[in-house]
Amino acid sequence: MAPPAQSNRSPSPSQPSGKSEVSDLKLQLRQLAGSRAPGVDDSKRELFKKVISYMTIGIDVSSLFGEMVMCSVTPDIVLKKMCYLYVGNYAKVNPDLALLTINFLQRDCKDEDPMIRGLALRSLCSLRVANLVEYLVGQLGSGLKDSNSYVRTVAVMGVLKLYHISALTCVDADFPAVLKHLLLNDPDTQVVANCLSALQEIWSSEATTSEEALRDRETLLSKPVVYYLLNRIKEFSEWAQCLVLELVAKYVPSDSNEIFDIMNLLEDRLHHANGAVVLATTKLFLHLTLSMTDVHQQVYERIKAPLLTLVSSGSPEQSYAVLSHLHLLVMRAPYIFASDYKHFYCQYNEPSYVKKLKLEMLTAVANESNTYEIVTELCEYAANVDIPIARESIRAVGKIALEQYDVNAIVDRLLQFLEMEKDYVTSEALVLVKDLLRKYPQWSHDCIAVVGNISSKNIQEPKAKAALIWMLGEYSQDMQDAPYILESLIENWDDEHSAEVRLHLLTAVMKCFFKRPPETQKTLGAALAAGVADFHQDVHDRALFYYRLLQYNVTVAERVVNPPKQAVSVFADTQSSEVKDRIFDEFNTLSVVYQKPSYMFTDKEHRGPFEFSDELGNLSIGTESTDTGVPGHRVEANDKDLLLSTSEEEETRVPSNNGAYNAPSYDSSLVSIVASQPQSDLLSTNTVVPSSASQSSFAIDNLLGLGVSVTPALAPAPSPPPLNLNPKAALDPSTFQQKWRQLPISLSQEYSMSPSGVGALTTPQALLLHMQSHSVHCIASGGQSPNFKFFFFAQKAEEPSIFLVECVISTANSKAQIKIKADDQSVSQEFSSLFQSALSKFGLP
Amino acid sequence: MLQCIFLLSDSGEVMLEKQLTGHRVDRSICAWFWEHALSQADSSKLQPVIASPTHYLFQVLREGITFLACSQVEMPPLMAIEFLCRVADVLSDYLGGLNEDVIKDNFVIVYELLDEMIDNGFPLTTEPNILREMIAPPNIVSKVLSVVTGNSSNVSDTLPGATASCVPWRTTDTKYANNEVYVDLVEEMDAIINRDGILVKCEIYGEVQVNSHLSGLPDLTLSFANPSILDDVRFHPCVRFRPWESDQILSFVPPDGQFKLMSYRVRKLKSTPIYVKPQLTSDAGTCRISVLVGIRNDPGKIIDSVTLDFQLPPCVLSADLSSNCGSVNILSSKKCSWSIGRIPKDKTPSMSGTLVLETGLERLHVFPTFEVGFRIMGIALSGVKIDKLDIKNLPNKPYKGFRALTRAGEFEVRA
Repeated sequence: MAPPAQSNRSPSPSQPSGKSEVSDLKLQLRQLAGSRAPGVDDSKRELFKKVISYMTIGIDVSSLFGEMVMCSVTPDIVLKKMCYLYVGNYAKVNPDLALLTINFLQRDCKDEDPMIRGLALRSLCSLRVANLVEYLVGQLGSGLKDSNSYVRTVAVMGVLKLYHISALTCVDADFPAVLKHLLLNDPDTQVVANCLSALQEIWSSEATTSEEALRDRETLLSKPVVYYLLNRIKEFSEWAQCLVLELVAKYVPSDSNEIFDIMNLLEDRLHHANGAVVLATTKLFLHLTLSMTDVHQQVYERIKAPLLTLVSSGSPEQSYAVLSHLHLLVMRAPYIFASDYKHFYCQYNEPSYVKKLKLEMLTAVANESNTYEIVTELCEYAANVDIPIARESIRAVGKIALEQYDVNAIVDRLLQFLEMEKDYVTSEALVLVKDLLRKYPQWSHDCIAVVGNISSKNIQEPKAKAALIWMLGEYSQDMQDAPYILESLIENWDDEHSAEVRLHLLTAVMKCFFKRPPETQKTLGAALAAGVADFHQDVHDRALFYYRLLQYNVTVAERVVNPPKQAVSVFADTQSSEVKDRIFDEFNTLSVVYQKPSYMFTDKEHRGPFEFSDELGNLSIGTESTDTGVPGHRVEANDKDLLLSTSEEEETRVPSNNGAYNAPSYDSSLVSIVASQPQSDLLSTNTVVPSSASQSSFAIDNLLGLGVSVTPALAPAPSPPPLNLNPKAALDPSTFQQKWRQLPISLSQEYSMSPSGVGALTTPQALLLHMQSHSVHCIASGGQSPNFKFFFFAQKAEEPSIFLVECVISTANSKAQIKIKADDQSVSQEFSSLFQSALSKFGLP
Repeated sequence: MLQCIFLLSDSGEVMLEKQLTGHRVDRSICAWFWEHALSQADSSKLQPVIASPTHYLFQVLREGITFLACSQVEMPPLMAIEFLCRVADVLSDYLGGLNEDVIKDNFVIVYELLDEMIDNGFPLTTEPNILREMIAPPNIVSKVLSVVTGNSSNVSDTLPGATASCVPWRTTDTKYANNEVYVDLVEEMDAIINRDGILVKCEIYGEVQVNSHLSGLPDLTLSFANPSILDDVRFHPCVRFRPWESDQILSFVPPDGQFKLMSYRVRKLKSTPIYVKPQLTSDAGTCRISVLVGIRNDPGKIIDSVTLDFQLPPCVLSADLSSNCGSVNILSSKKCSWSIGRIPKDKTPSMSGTLVLETGLERLHVFPTFEVGFRIMGIALSGVKIDKLDIKNLPNKPYKGFRALTRAGEFEVRA
């Protein structure tokens, strides 16, 4: 696809159309190439500038390659730079001609000016032509030993570029070892930072094949390296600081003292002028303290002010990125931000995506003390010029009402909305009043009085109309003219385009009929007739169903259609807490901005930070040797991803084990999307599981995950043998933490505890001993009656495969909530039943 | 890490393309981006982070120039955005402003700068002082110099000394005949006044800007008379953290030239310097509007550049507005702006007029929001005061200058 800018340009007379100008330039360059006249550099410069500007606007000037190279023998550094730029751009398509440039680049690499040495080396490495690598090795070798840090900085990056051209050459020349040495010894921090980023990249991709690289990569996360970097952190440039902080976030400290040491050392990074540093520090703090509830809380308090400042300073783009992160934190711990609600007030000229985030935060932080002010503020937005935001804010008011704070005042507000005579306001308010009535039936009297005054003719939106009709049916005994309104609606059946509304209409007429039979009988007949004749399958079926039900027995029909209802206590959350946790794990990544964990929007190809595919349509097939016992996780995620893209509100399912894989029934649109993906993507299995678990983080913390991926591949048994646990399993806390972070939840369930079990659970210790006798070991426990929380682990008898369990027991309602993560997901179901049976025996004599 | 940076003009033309990694990003991505941008009604409402079918795009818009960066791999979004902002800052600093022409005229310099700012997709240095030593800015002085000396290269021959010094933001051999340092307090007041005229939110975002022309390696200490009122602070990397933590003193070796030493926030202010009282009364298809503006708490200094901007709701057909002070403009997009300038002593500025509503509408349901602008020289409204500035390590006494300024930030009054 050609950029339109280019295609628009060609007819324009002032712009060169291509050929003739290029050949003209060629001629002029040739004349200058041999000349030694004074001032020749200036004319060369003009010509070079022209060539590069053509290149920039997209005209192909690669035919000038030879002439450009000839002209580049010059002491003028600007000319050199332009030439490097040109050569770098076209060398890849002209590998033979690129050979011409090697000579002068090599000479420049030995120049006495370090700036030129550096530039030449950078250009040399940027040629990226495979058959020139032999020239690179020597120059890089001397570049890495250069006395000037600028040249070393360039050389380190050069090694990485070489690695991408030819990994073998790079490793054979032993460059990674040289970089490792520089990483720990170079006095210049920029060199150190470049070494760090290069080594992470090289070792991560080497680690898949080489044990040694795996170990090397591990050493990056070892205490000495991490401490060495941390101690010098203030010397690093702000960007390099981000890199170091990112690395430290993956380090697992051995005890809480270490955690405090690190946090004290980095405390002042929160005051850094660069927002990226502040956010990287925030991430580090949050992740370090994840297991220490009190400190974690304090961290929230601590990072609150810096983040709020970041939002109010800087450009709108920066504020947005920070706000997205703040949004995540507010959703996790709204009470901490309750007193800062004014920061989330919307400014008039903010873009609507920012306002939307702020509205959600306002909704979340509402509590007894600030509800009044927040709702007052939200009501002002309802008269906003920006209609989508006005709608959002009305919904926000409704959400707060459903959270049960000060409902009195809010209901009045909502009813005022109904009287505002703005169709979108009325529509949104109607939907809310409906939800409110489902939760607080006691308000029906006040609401119905107002709703009764609304003419159904003024309501156009299907959702609102459906809500109104629902209320007409539900409260027909209280609304004088309900049957007649319904009657007029039925008369206009054919004008009603939304199936949703017609469905509701059928049900409402039924309900009305049971309450006021004489007035509704005729209408019901008309409705059923219209329904049965409807072209929409669902409407047709429902009408027929009602008809037969009535025919069979009217009292049964009433019990089915209009049973006594219980007030809804909690409305379902649209995003599962599991998904939210995953996003939190991926703090300071794109996941936060998209409000989706990365597996929902990234191809596995691009999970790791360092893998590229040359064309997206041509995804590389990395995992052909997979068995057919497909653990469903990756596929499941993929499938979920597609579902989510079609409907945002789709409830996300908890990833389950392989059984679920066969279950989903694809609708046609889904299948077409799936089919367009390369087959390998669907079949890719075991090896993918760990990568999806750690996609956000650099693949470097994948150490354990990689070990894991091998296990299931070696044992392709489709039906696993009965599960035996190792009674003497051992796992140190840091490994547990790391694994817990990496692995996806394979099972999440709720059990009922037996009364005897609940009775016996007076202290956490009681359960520990019991579970130990079932080969399930506890690594951490806490809480006191009535709420306990445990972290357990267990190991398979013959294999190193580990199961991790988070178990929250509430003795008040005798429930145990259990989340299981497993190296080998295919047996987590068995493990779950084992765990459950062990738990059920607790407390029995 | 970033794979490619594009600079787009305000017509969507690719002015500059800088590939950063071995993985080439095709230009067609810009076409995709531009179409996406056009599909959004208002370009300022375009999200900074966009997922295209092939790449993740980060975009920052400055003076009509779009800085577009692409990546296919995960990276901290704020890092990408922050970096693009820095690129924009540095370019505008170098070229004396940003627009299509100036970038096209100096694209070689832009390439040179990008070359030093980012390598292989990872940011290297964005410190303007260091960059300036590597690549000379294309100013008039250097143009004159190049004519005189015949050396027309805008690349300095030596490597920046700072890369080797222990204070990376400063060179060791700066020399001035007249040593001087200026400290400015620049504050922005953000406020929301709701429909009932109640001040619901009022806070100040402030910056301490320093312009230093000092020789050698001077060591500065700046202290405030009342540091306790600052709610949260952020520092330039040159500020030492310890002295601030223990005594709330800013101790630092400054970079050369203009820089932002510190930014802060002061929350929960109780009053605003001016009041704005809008009144709207609807009757039978028309709406009377009147707005009064005046000084509420006299800060003791002159309040000038007072402006009032507001967007009329779409249901307003026409408007007739007049004022007793300053001028009122109504644009075709129904944006009105009333520029008052300095508030006169003898009378209260007021604007009044009628709005004609769409046929069928009796009353106005959607109300405009007034965005207020003002400027007060010579005072920091938050009440922050600089106590003293000590300079060590300097042979002779430098000149020290202090200024303060408060202006309206996001100051809005809802009708």
